Amino acid sequence: MDLQHYISSGVIESYVFGLLNQEERMEFEQLCATHPELRAARDAFELQLEKQALAQAVEPPAGLRERVLQSIEVSGPGFSDANPPLAPVRSMGWLRAAAVACMVLLLGSSVLNVYFFSRYKLYSARYDQLVASQLQMASANRAMQTRLQDYESALGHIKNPGMIVVKLPGVNSSPASLATVYWDSQSKDVYLMVNQLPRPAASDRQYQLWALVDGKPVDAGVFDIGDGLLKMKNIPRAQAFAITLEKRGGSPSPHLDALYVLGKVSA
Amino acid sequence: MSNHVTYTEQELVHLLRNRDNQAFSYLYDNYSGALYSIILQIVQENELASDVLQEVFINIWRKIESYDALKGRLFTWMLNIARNASIDTLRSKNYQNSRKNQELGDHVHTGGNGQTLQPNVDHIGLRKTLEKLKPEHRVLIELAYFKGYTHEEIAAIENIPLGTVKTRIRNSLLQLREYLK
Repeated sequence: MDLQHYISSGVIESYVFGLLNQEERMEFEQLCATHPELRAARDAFELQLEKQALAQAVEPPAGLRERVLQSIEVSGPGFSDANPPLAPVRSMGWLRAAAVACMVLLLGSSVLNVYFFSRYKLYSARYDQLVASQLQMASANRAMQTRLQDYESALGHIKNPGMIVVKLPGVNSSPASLATVYWDSQSKDVYLMVNQLPRPAASDRQYQLWALVDGKPVDAGVFDIGDGLLKMKNIPRAQAFAITLEKRGGSPSPHLDALYVLGKVSA
Repeated sequence: MSNHVTYTEQELVHLLRNRDNQAFSYLYDNYSGALYSIILQIVQENELASDVLQEVFINIWRKIESYDALKGRLFTWMLNIARNASIDTLRSKNYQNSRKNQELGDHVHTGGNGQTLQPNVDHIGLRKTLEKLKPEHRVLIELAYFKGYTHEEIAAIENIPLGTVKTRIRNSLLQLREYLK
């Protein structure tokens, strides 16, 4: 075959423009592989065509670039004829995987929401219970503190060496009754401890302590039965103490028919 | 844009096969004009040409694996994708027209003045050089390159021997090549 004649026959141009039939095309490709001059001539024409086409380029519409670039991102890398199954997996794979991952995360998050909300409700109820019991304990503690302080101050008075102790035993009409007066010899303050007194039958009655000064009763204060030491009125001088049940608020002079206890101050 | 970066054709093909979007942008920026021109010469309608160009770039992206450097340059491969897509579009469009207007096929190839389409692309590329050919040669290029008919089909349409069709087309292409310089 005359290669030069073949090269200048127009077969190169026909090949490049895709105008050869199957048979001619295969022949041309085979000859290209074995004849570098033919390949070089083909390259030269292709390059010339490309340069000419680039020089004669017509600017496509402005918005098209964006559309094209978007469409390959939307369609992804797509597939090629060479490896059809691989590319789609790669292309849609990450999108689908991301979507699936999102769904799984969303579902997981929802389940956790329900779980954590129920836990929240449980712990919130427990917290309320704890706060309530803590408040209860605090108030109980305060009450205990108050009582402890009362006892401590009472004990302090009793331990005071200058304290005169006057036992008031029950009189004949009330033999079981007993009270004790602690009388500070320095300050003359009077403290009363009720050891045993019957509870008044009516709420409008109240016990009253009397100091007997030179045979005359002097009011030393009224009291209700309670724990600990009751601070009574200051009594500068007295030979004896007595307790009667009077109307609430006390009386100016004692009703001796309602005398419960009586005790002399030992000299 | 990455016009300041230049790739060799080998690098470009390699990057495209690795699904490099940057390389694809580069490809668009450098070749969209040339390919648009080629499409426009065939479909001769701006809007249609835009659609075809988009389709062509998507096909390039999808089919880059099947590009074989032994068979030609990347641009030649793209040119033929563009040309085939243009002809396919034209045929599917003309198919509807030809049902109503059967003489269109005859009309196009009845001679030198058979150009009933928009003339706005006649001054570019291969179309511009067509007018330098003899009318009986010009119609063959029109049918073969711009309409995508096989030599056998052209021989039948023009009622001339297949060998004559082949020779005339090859000679015409050689002539066009001179004008393309």
